[in-house]
Amino acid sequence: MSDAEQPMDDHVPGEEQGFEPIEVFPEAEDMDLRPGADNCYKCSTCDTNCPVAEVDDEFPGPKFQGPEQWRLKRQEDHDIDESVMKCSNCMRCDSACPSEVPLSQMHNTARAEYVEENMSKLSREYWRNRMLSNYRKLAPLAATFPRTANFVMGLSATQWMGEKVMGIASEREFPEFATQTFRAWWTERGGNDTSRERARAARARRGEETENPHKRIAYFHGCYSNYNTPEVAKALVRVYEHLGYAVMVPEQSCSGTPMFANGMLEDARRAAETNVRELADAIENGADIVASCSSCSMSIRQEYPELFDFEGTEGVAANTWDAVEYLRVHEDLKDELEGTAVDAEFAYHAPCHARNQGLDGQTVEVLSAIDGIDVEDVGDSCSGISGTYGWKEENYETSMKIGEEMFEHMEDAEATTGLTECPTCSMQMGHGTGYEITHTLEVLEAALVD
Amino acid sequence: MAHDTEVLVLGGGSTGCGIARDLAMRGLEVTLVERGNLTDGTTGRMHGLLHSGGRYAVSDQASAVECIEENEILREIAGHCVELTGGLFVQRPEDPDDYFREKLEGCRDCDIPARVLSGREAREVEPYLAKDVKRAIQVPDGAVDPFRLCVANAIDAENYGARIETHAEVIDLLRDGDDIYGVTVRHDSGPGKHTHKTPGTTEDITAEYVVNATGAWAGQIGAMADLDVEVRPSKGVMTIMNVRQVDTVINRCRPKGDADIIVPHETTAILGTTDEEVSDPDDYPEEKWEVDMMIDTLSELVPILEEARTIRSFWGVRPLYEPPGRGTKDPTDITRDFFLLDHAERDGVSGMSSIVGGKFTTYRAMAEEISNHVCDQLGVRASCATAKEALPGSENLAVLEEGMDDFGLRSPIARRSKQRLGSRSQEVLETDDPNPVVCQCEGVTRAEVQDAIEQSGSDLNAVRIRTRASMGNCQGGFCCANMANELHPEYDEETTREALDELFQERWKGERHALWGEQLSQAMLNYALHATTMNRDNDPASRTEGVDYGVFDSGAQTASPARSDGGKRTDGGDRADGSRSSSDLRSDGGER
Repeated sequence: MSDAEQPMDDHVPGEEQGFEPIEVFPEAEDMDLRPGADNCYKCSTCDTNCPVAEVDDEFPGPKFQGPEQWRLKRQEDHDIDESVMKCSNCMRCDSACPSEVPLSQMHNTARAEYVEENMSKLSREYWRNRMLSNYRKLAPLAATFPRTANFVMGLSATQWMGEKVMGIASEREFPEFATQTFRAWWTERGGNDTSRERARAARARRGEETENPHKRIAYFHGCYSNYNTPEVAKALVRVYEHLGYAVMVPEQSCSGTPMFANGMLEDARRAAETNVRELADAIENGADIVASCSSCSMSIRQEYPELFDFEGTEGVAANTWDAVEYLRVHEDLKDELEGTAVDAEFAYHAPCHARNQGLDGQTVEVLSAIDGIDVEDVGDSCSGISGTYGWKEENYETSMKIGEEMFEHMEDAEATTGLTECPTCSMQMGHGTGYEITHTLEVLEAALVD
Repeated sequence: MAHDTEVLVLGGGSTGCGIARDLAMRGLEVTLVERGNLTDGTTGRMHGLLHSGGRYAVSDQASAVECIEENEILREIAGHCVELTGGLFVQRPEDPDDYFREKLEGCRDCDIPARVLSGREAREVEPYLAKDVKRAIQVPDGAVDPFRLCVANAIDAENYGARIETHAEVIDLLRDGDDIYGVTVRHDSGPGKHTHKTPGTTEDITAEYVVNATGAWAGQIGAMADLDVEVRPSKGVMTIMNVRQVDTVINRCRPKGDADIIVPHETTAILGTTDEEVSDPDDYPEEKWEVDMMIDTLSELVPILEEARTIRSFWGVRPLYEPPGRGTKDPTDITRDFFLLDHAERDGVSGMSSIVGGKFTTYRAMAEEISNHVCDQLGVRASCATAKEALPGSENLAVLEEGMDDFGLRSPIARRSKQRLGSRSQEVLETDDPNPVVCQCEGVTRAEVQDAIEQSGSDLNAVRIRTRASMGNCQGGFCCANMANELHPEYDEETTREALDELFQERWKGERHALWGEQLSQAMLNYALHATTMNRDNDPASRTEGVDYGVFDSGAQTASPARSDGGKRTDGGDRADGSRSSSDLRSDGGER
């Protein structure tokens, strides 16, 4: 069930010889992915699994975007079809493909090339996309004046301006900024040192060796749980400490997910460089990496090694985990949860990026060990928001059409609270149903931590 | 005596079509007959190299000089058939330094622009080259599409009034004493455009002069008039890779040997080749070791080939010739020069010349020389214009490229379509009708397919060579039914089915040499698709005998001990269940 061995399907023929064609290219945008088309025998399973193609007849689908378009390309050609911008980067095609075609790698690289070569750097679309994908750059400002920011963002005038000036769907409500970021809380609480002490105390309480260098994790919290939902990040810290783990919070930048999705590969490269350096350091210090956001872990595990070749990229990818997955592998969660009780019902949606990591079944299974809880999986459809995708005025309708199946299934479920691991899926779930949405780690915290 | 035509050209390859165009442009009345489709012989079975002359710069400098001259002419007159890829002669550590030096000097002697690159620089040009390559010589090799080039010559010949008859096999030479005055042909489906299922006819075509440009088949034609043409057909294998691992022509820089060239060709890369004499150009073995050797040997230069996908392999036969008495044993030592055999001089039989030897890159120069000879014979004074006059599709390419739009197509499809159609793009692609993509692998739209059908009739292989539809990684699995569909309603259902079968069969001929790895998966999927959606594994409608209802199970029965097959399955396995009724034995021996 769990993906402990990280069987990522990024096989490109020729790698076996230790042959590195990449070294002569200065930038990943120039990467030649034509050989990846060798794996495609055109079965079209990717197209039938693509949520965008399902609702948008104009979208040619992943088979065209990936292997077909690459195969038609010559080294000097720079005219990627504009339809690549309609791809939401849900990456379902990767797991749908029976033949290891590196689809999302092809899409990411093609999209970057399209933005670089074909999109005007003066266009509204470019700046809107740049802003959306660099949300991490704007968030600190908002977080400094969270109440003002939330007030301004909530104004209908702001939303109207957002759509007219920037092309951001006015139907969407901007996520609220927390009054205190996770990192501020973490520092106030005493940082890594406090966590080490708490872990030691927990181990003593649990009757374990008080000194255990193996129970050490570095937390990649990402942007959203830092600025918007620190309660998720706090839940992770408390659950891990409760189980005797010392938590470190390294310096970090955005995981790059929104940047890949918008073809801003240079921005993503800068962010990834920081992350790989900091996380590699943490691994050097004996920690494993865990993330609470399924897109963050996906990005570090799959996209980094596909698109970048900084020193340590492979090692960081191989040692990064989803936070719940890590506990399932390293702890006996069923035993830990025995006798715990949470009286609640949840409608659970597995995010595409969790699904791609093989994690779509774990939440229902883990939580079922808690008494009084009822978690209903609302099916395998895509929520439709795919990060920044559903925020764009031109995609809003498509995004809601894709989400329709999930909304219906949530309505049909007994529960009136939603549950998921992805911040933007959570926005979409809330937007479509009006439900409160919570994170699996928060439920685990309620069960395990007093 | 009045003749049907002034000049009759036998053979619709590059030489024949080149001659037909040249003579037609000089104002002569020309008829060309070809046994199958244009390019069906050696022209359609080559690796698509537009020689810079570098390959002959050591062994045959006269040919090398001719190659670089023609190379430069073809870039001008056939821009839409040529891709200026550049080429490299790559030296591996074990390849001789002496030869590298000779090659470089040879190129300079022949005025072939040549530049030495270090191993590192060579890998910057072609990242997939092996890491240990020593150095390389950069030359202006190119890639050429022999199909489009040959077809463009034929179209232009027609524009100048020539009659081009495909599917017209010469079955006899008309000889009166010591004069050849024409041929008898058998039209597969009557004269004009090829239409399946139309009854065949024979026709005598008389001419003032006959040019035998049938290449490797020249000996067979000669024999019809008791003339001895000592052509020595030599086969070579070529293996097509699914994608272009290289965008430059890669030659191995060593004296000679098999498997020493990779040519980027359209969306693919072609590996070549071998050189082995065969007795019959229509019947020779196609062997697995030849394909294996291509991949193994060329992987030394480009290691990724070892793991890369092959979509098909094909064999071509060179029309090698050497004048009597030389007695060269090894076909690789036979000259690549061409020979004009005037049978009047040689055998005392007037009215015909045969062309043998030669190579694709210099087809135009050959055609010019032969046309001069023909004009001398006929007493015609007219000069050759083929080196100046662009072929249809290559007129004003530079001007057109700027102004052309995308015709509502997705950009990679539009780019590929325009590369194929050249200056004909607008005329072909501009349409108010829906223009869906028919062949996804190669990006060929309905408009382009329809244009080809207009040119060539119901023959889908003729559509294939004009458009590249069905030449991509699925080898027609997904598109050949859609291509056949484009024949309807102009052609009836029976014709359409026959055309479909013929195309799919031709695709299979080459694909069967690539059945491992991904191409095997592709073939399996193609089979399943065709079986389940078109009943092509066992279509009751195509059966000639009636259905034997007696062999079907008539429902639940009491167990019958009568058995006639000894309890063995037809696939050789033992039956686990020995009590099945005999009524499940099918007359065809299969179990469904």
